[in-house]
Amino acid sequence: MTMNLFNQFLSPTFLGLPLIAIALMAPCLLYPSPAPWWQSNRWTTLQNWFIGSFIKQTLSPINTKGHSWALLLATLMVFLITLNTLGLLPYTFTPTTQLSLNMAFAVPLWLATVIMGFRNSPTHALGHLLPEGTPTPLVPILIIIESISLLIRPLALGVRLTANLTAGHLLIQLVSSAAFSLLLSQTTAASLAVGLLLLLTILEIAVAMIQAYVFVLLLSLYLQENV
Amino acid sequence: MAGHDAGSQHQFTGMAKYFNSYTITGRRNYVLATYASLAAIFLFFKLKPKKQPAVTEK
Repeated sequence: MTMNLFNQFLSPTFLGLPLIAIALMAPCLLYPSPAPWWQSNRWTTLQNWFIGSFIKQTLSPINTKGHSWALLLATLMVFLITLNTLGLLPYTFTPTTQLSLNMAFAVPLWLATVIMGFRNSPTHALGHLLPEGTPTPLVPILIIIESISLLIRPLALGVRLTANLTAGHLLIQLVSSAAFSLLLSQTTAASLAVGLLLLLTILEIAVAMIQAYVFVLLLSLYLQENV
Repeated sequence: MAGHDAGSQHQFTGMAKYFNSYTITGRRNYVLATYASLAAIFLFFKLKPKKQPAVTEK
């Protein structure tokens, strides 16, 4: 029984070839490319509006130096939101349930913000490791605590996304298994389970979008601190 | 950003001029001193010669 629950998270392979590569290409195939003419169609206009609003909101607190991250943050947001929501379809694989993928996003991007901060203004980057106005006896311990909190950021970023999506998929499988097994014997309990499953699915759609947004928002905050 | 301090309202003398938690350079120096102390403690224990038990003749 335990093996069945986690089988959905095994990275799929076909004849030894990893299918995760195809799963990762899915978002690229779904979105229209910008057209060469003045007025695009409705889908492209909607896409452009979404990306424009998102970038405007994300980059407004960041100064001009950080605006070169606009393309990266917009791409990351669209990519994550698409992977997360596509994974809610039946019989699909969600690449963002893999910790390796999420850490591969989190660690290089976080490290890039830290290196940028140390390169542009090392004094400010180091000075922010000690909160202003700290009493002298607390200084060493607080520096250690702040350093640990800095180093734990990429881990938190990756694990947050992985854990939220994995937990959601697991819950959906558990509740749907319960509903299916109770369908013939206890119809009332099964109908309650189906109702719960419906609410859970709505919640998971929201979580899928929110977690993608939180990932990119936190990255933009780390960028804001270092630029 | 909140907490940005020009440090002009604080008049520090002596060691406090270089090590304080109000100016950005003071905070930086505190951080560097803490990291240097931790590195020194680590190196001390790493390079300390290990005591060998005395060999007694039978």
